[in-house]
Amino acid sequence: MKHTILFFTAIFFVSAVFAQTDFKGEVATARTSYASGKLEDTHFALQQALGDLDIIIGKEVLKLLPTQLDVLNANTASDNVTANVGFIGATIHRDYGNTPEKKAEIEIISNSPMIGTLNAFLNTPILGGMMRDENNKTVKVQGYKARLERTDAGNGKYNYKLDIPFSSSLLTLNVDNSTEAETLAMANKIPLQDVAKLIQ
Amino acid sequence: MKKIALPMLMLCGMFAYKPCEAQLLKKIKDKVNQVANKTTGNNDSQTSSTGSETSNSGKPTNKGGGGLTNTPPPDVNQQMADAEKSFDATKYSDARYSIQQALMGVEIQLGRELLKSLPSDVNGLSKDTTQDKVVSTQWGWANMTIQRVYTDGKDKQLTTSIGNSGLYAGLLNVYFNSAYVQADANQQNVKQTKVKDYKAIITYDDNKGYTLIVPIGQSSMIAWECINFANENEVMDAAAKFDIDGIKKKLGEQ
Repeated sequence: MKHTILFFTAIFFVSAVFAQTDFKGEVATARTSYASGKLEDTHFALQQALGDLDIIIGKEVLKLLPTQLDVLNANTASDNVTANVGFIGATIHRDYGNTPEKKAEIEIISNSPMIGTLNAFLNTPILGGMMRDENNKTVKVQGYKARLERTDAGNGKYNYKLDIPFSSSLLTLNVDNSTEAETLAMANKIPLQDVAKLIQ
Repeated sequence: MKKIALPMLMLCGMFAYKPCEAQLLKKIKDKVNQVANKTTGNNDSQTSSTGSETSNSGKPTNKGGGGLTNTPPPDVNQQMADAEKSFDATKYSDARYSIQQALMGVEIQLGRELLKSLPSDVNGLSKDTTQDKVVSTQWGWANMTIQRVYTDGKDKQLTTSIGNSGLYAGLLNVYFNSAYVQADANQQNVKQTKVKDYKAIITYDDNKGYTLIVPIGQSSMIAWECINFANENEVMDAAAKFDIDGIKKKLGEQ
């Protein structure tokens, strides 16, 4: 067991170092390409650097997320950060709980132009009003406007989904078989302000 | 009686003539404005020739201002240095912003170089550099659009847009892969063609004129919008004046 932990720590450390050198390496490539007037190569290297940076930011965000939500423990082994240069900057994933009855997951999409739509919903009373029904409402979590949506889980309980947009990023909290109060209590455990500072 | 009637008639005539006179005055005023704008290089003839000073909503109409000064694009070297500095200080969000700025700077430079490489005349139409545009967005999927307008000063116009947006290129590939495009035999307004051995699509619309689009490489394309061109051949001929290989190389496409 000890060996496995040591092994994973080593891998994490190596990958972190690798990612860091990568960013520096890409910027160095961009510099030399730019100096020799190769604009397209500079462009490519900078995009790569952006991707590396997104991964690093994602890992920093994961460090900020709580290791426990209510009674659910984080499954850090399934932590995931994906950088996609293009449509979506990066996706950061962490889930909680081991049983199928009770699960929660946090999904963060950073730097995506599509988030603007959700912001429009939250900030336009008429649009928000049209979208609102008994399964859908706008709430505030730690001062941030958010949209809470529930779907029938089929067993008399509900699955909750909370969307919290930060300008061009979006944090989504999914909680299965839960109540509104429980979902909001979980959301309050997430250090939104610190996360926002990193991904905005 | 007759003596009174005559001056009365003349007076009526004068009153009746007044609107025409006003129109004439307006025309002269417009002409003067046009000339004045031409000499000062000012292009806002619309704002100066509209007579009303307030719009319908009661808000005053803006009659012009200095506009924004043309700032140089972001300094790429400086931004890269800033990014590294922020990165070392573990301010990753700031580092990201600097890299994005650097990307924009590179794209704008690339765009300007491309504009320089475009021909200055195309089949009797000369370039209108006041309408040159280089647009760069920070989002990866619609990086950059470069626009150049050629005109004969009257009603014939050619607008060239060059972009490296994967989104549009993807849409075009859908066109190329569907046989239906050429199936409508009655009135064919869209068809596939070739410009300098590059696959292309040409469309015609009575209101918009001809549009010719050539996808180049993996994610870029060139589009020519031709207004008041006599026929398809004229459009193809104009497009052939552009160095597509050169543009492709500059965009780093294979």
